Amino acid sequence: RMDLEDDTTILTTLKSFNSFISQSEPPRGAILTAPPTLQSQYKRSFELLEAAEKVQSKTRFLQLDQEKKQMELSHKKARLELEKAASDSARDLEQGRNQELYARIKRLEESEAQAMERLKEQQETQRSLRKALDSLNKSLEEKEDKLSTANQTLSSLQDEIRDLKLKLQSQDSTISTQGLEKEELQEKLLLQQRKYQDVSQLCQSLQAAQSTCSEHVLKIKELERRLVLQEQDMSIVKMVKSEAAKVPELEKELKRLREDNAFLRENRENCSLLKEEAEGLRRKLERAEKTREELLSLELDKEKLAAKLEAWENLGQSSGLNIKSPEDLFREVMQIQQREITLKEQNYMLNSRVRSMERSQSELQSEACQQRACTAEEQRRREAQDSLVRRLQKRLLLLTKERDGMRGILESYDSELGATEYSPQLNRRVKEAEDLLQKTQSHNTEMEAQLTKAQEECGFLRLQLHTVSICVCRGLRFRQKIEDLEAERQRLEQLNGELEMRLEKHTLQGDFDPAKTRLLHFKMNPTAVAKQQRQQEVDSLQEEVTRLRELVRVVQESGAQDESSVLGLSLSLPPSKEVLELRKQKESSELKNQRLKEVFQKKIQEFRTVCYVLTGYQIDITTANQYRLTSVYAEHMDDSLLFKKGSSGSMQLMETEFSKTLGEMVSLHLHHQKSIPAFLSAVTLDLFSKQTVV
Amino acid sequence: VVKMTSTLKGITLKGSAELVAEFFSFGINSILYQRGIYPPETFGRVTHYDMSLQLTTDPKLKNYLTDVVSQLKEWLFECTVQRLVLVITCLETNDVLERWQFDIECDKSAKESSAPREKSIKTIQDEIRSVIRQITATVTFLPLLETPCAFDLLVYTDKDLVVPEKWEESGPQIITQSEEVRLRSFTTSIHKVNSMVAYKRSDSM
Repeated sequence: RMDLEDDTTILTTLKSFNSFISQSEPPRGAILTAPPTLQSQYKRSFELLEAAEKVQSKTRFLQLDQEKKQMELSHKKARLELEKAASDSARDLEQGRNQELYARIKRLEESEAQAMERLKEQQETQRSLRKALDSLNKSLEEKEDKLSTANQTLSSLQDEIRDLKLKLQSQDSTISTQGLEKEELQEKLLLQQRKYQDVSQLCQSLQAAQSTCSEHVLKIKELERRLVLQEQDMSIVKMVKSEAAKVPELEKELKRLREDNAFLRENRENCSLLKEEAEGLRRKLERAEKTREELLSLELDKEKLAAKLEAWENLGQSSGLNIKSPEDLFREVMQIQQREITLKEQNYMLNSRVRSMERSQSELQSEACQQRACTAEEQRRREAQDSLVRRLQKRLLLLTKERDGMRGILESYDSELGATEYSPQLNRRVKEAEDLLQKTQSHNTEMEAQLTKAQEECGFLRLQLHTVSICVCRGLRFRQKIEDLEAERQRLEQLNGELEMRLEKHTLQGDFDPAKTRLLHFKMNPTAVAKQQRQQEVDSLQEEVTRLRELVRVVQESGAQDESSVLGLSLSLPPSKEVLELRKQKESSELKNQRLKEVFQKKIQEFRTVCYVLTGYQIDITTANQYRLTSVYAEHMDDSLLFKKGSSGSMQLMETEFSKTLGEMVSLHLHHQKSIPAFLSAVTLDLFSKQTVV
Repeated sequence: VVKMTSTLKGITLKGSAELVAEFFSFGINSILYQRGIYPPETFGRVTHYDMSLQLTTDPKLKNYLTDVVSQLKEWLFECTVQRLVLVITCLETNDVLERWQFDIECDKSAKESSAPREKSIKTIQDEIRSVIRQITATVTFLPLLETPCAFDLLVYTDKDLVVPEKWEESGPQIITQSEEVRLRSFTTSIHKVNSMVAYKRSDSM
């Protein structure tokens, strides 16, 4: 046991041990001098037991005492550590606060810069206003005044900064007082150390004091925030007040500007009306110019056509066709037609002649055939006659021979007998023979004559054949000619058809033969009337245009000189009832719009505050489709989340300084769970827990 | 009219001229209504040829038409008219947009012999009705008249005719680059009327 305890405890245990020994000696002696009786023995044992118990309790007490001392020591240590930590945290806090305050100062400076920028913008707008309204030179001075007031506000802001610094100092002093309190508490602690029994109570009280201290710190924070808010409110109020002071003046100015505006608007309307009219007139003029150009082109065309016509006429003169006009063409066509008719007639005649020729040819051919047959027969006959002649000559030869023989015989007879008894008889017979000879001779001559006749006939027939063949040749030539004529006729017919078609088309399009037809229409026909009306309209419009142009010119001139004359001139153009009505309508609608805007603004403000209170986020629209969310529990004013609305309506978180610190939550809620509300709630909870627990 | 047709079997020159003039009156009114040359509210509905037709109520137009048609009737009776043309002109550009042409073939032999021809008024009116129906149907293919237009009536007559008062000679007002469509024709056996319409080709506008 002794080796377990450290030095200080050894001392105490030795003391206690001694005391223990001194205390335990009598019972031990009692045990040694044991009573005889069981009762007494029992009692003694009991007492001994009690004594042991007492010793035990004493030791326990001692133990507890030691423990307590230990506890006290540890407590002391803890105390020291705690004090150290408290002082450290206080310092840290102070530093943080200082930084915060510095940041706030910076922010204020930034806001000052922003205010400066705004101021510049305002100046610019003022300048634009000055340009828009020439007569607003005074506003510049007012703007300068504004600038000075802004400078004043700047100085006031600097004052505020100074105030804040003072407050910081005061807070430092409070911190020092708190340090004093802590010292007191430490003194108390010392007292508590001295007063052992009160230690625990004191501890509790210290804890309570600590908790109250933290509460105080929180309260201080809250108060500070409130103070800041109040200060902001104060500055806003100041601004509002200064602005409110300007209100009547501005209202006056507004009224004047409104009047000016109304007047200018009127002027502008007049101007636009005039411009429109001028535009219309210009258009009309353009159209007129165009028509003039068309006229020129038409004249050119006309010249061209005249040249063409001349060319035609020249052509007509050169070609000798004498084509000068459609009438000539028509006449030409007619001539062609007549020529064609005559050609047709010729054709028909030729055709008929050809046909008759053909017929005669066939007749001649048949005749030739007949003749040929005839000649063939004649030839045959001649041949037969030739053979007959040959036979007859043979016979004649035979007969002459016979006669010669007979004569010989007769001579022999004569020579023998002499011409006595038989001579008459013989003479008779000779005579008979001579007769016969004469007969045959005559027959022969006849035959010869017949032959020559046949030959003559044959020659004639041959001649006839020749003539017939010539005729056939001529017929063929005629046919050729007829065919040529037929082709020409067809060509002419085609041409005629074409010309007729063209003529038909012309008649379809409304052309007519001026030689036969006269074209009439009613003098006062609707087209003429309409055209006349149109012309009148154009004339009147043109007149109006010149008048209006003059007016515009006058207005522009006088507008440059002074305002009053413009007023007079514009008054000379009284606005129509419609215009007045429309103006009234426009005013009422503008008023309505204004009211709606006011109500809307009020409502939207209400909605925004409700949103801020309920969700804990202030939502601002920085640029189109970008929304900035600032939490109620944000540690810094700059801590905000930026969302961008995508083309499909989905929201995307943009990277900001603050969102960079929320990587875990972004990955969990946005990437994994894909829920923006969950992410926002998580951020809120996180910030809340950071703000409330120290 | 119905009684007349039941009793009269033939047709004379005078009757023919009247019928044709009546046809022109209704035909012109129909064209003016169908082509929207005059606003439709200036037309009134009448029943003729067993069909419902539109007749103008505009007094100026009415006067003009009666003047022209009565003169035309005279010429028809004299058989000196060759053609009637309704010209539709664009007022902005002075272009001729449409030409409704009615060629009239007169049988001049009817002037000598006054014997009525064998053709009932009923059949003639049936023919006229189909012509007017066709005029109404042409709206489906004729290009829309988008600009304000006016019309004129041209009459082609024989050369030897004396020009009456209030009338004057005119040009043929031919359409450049036109499309022609032949319509039905009808005949009273004395006057034959061939109708056709020529219109400006839309791509050239």
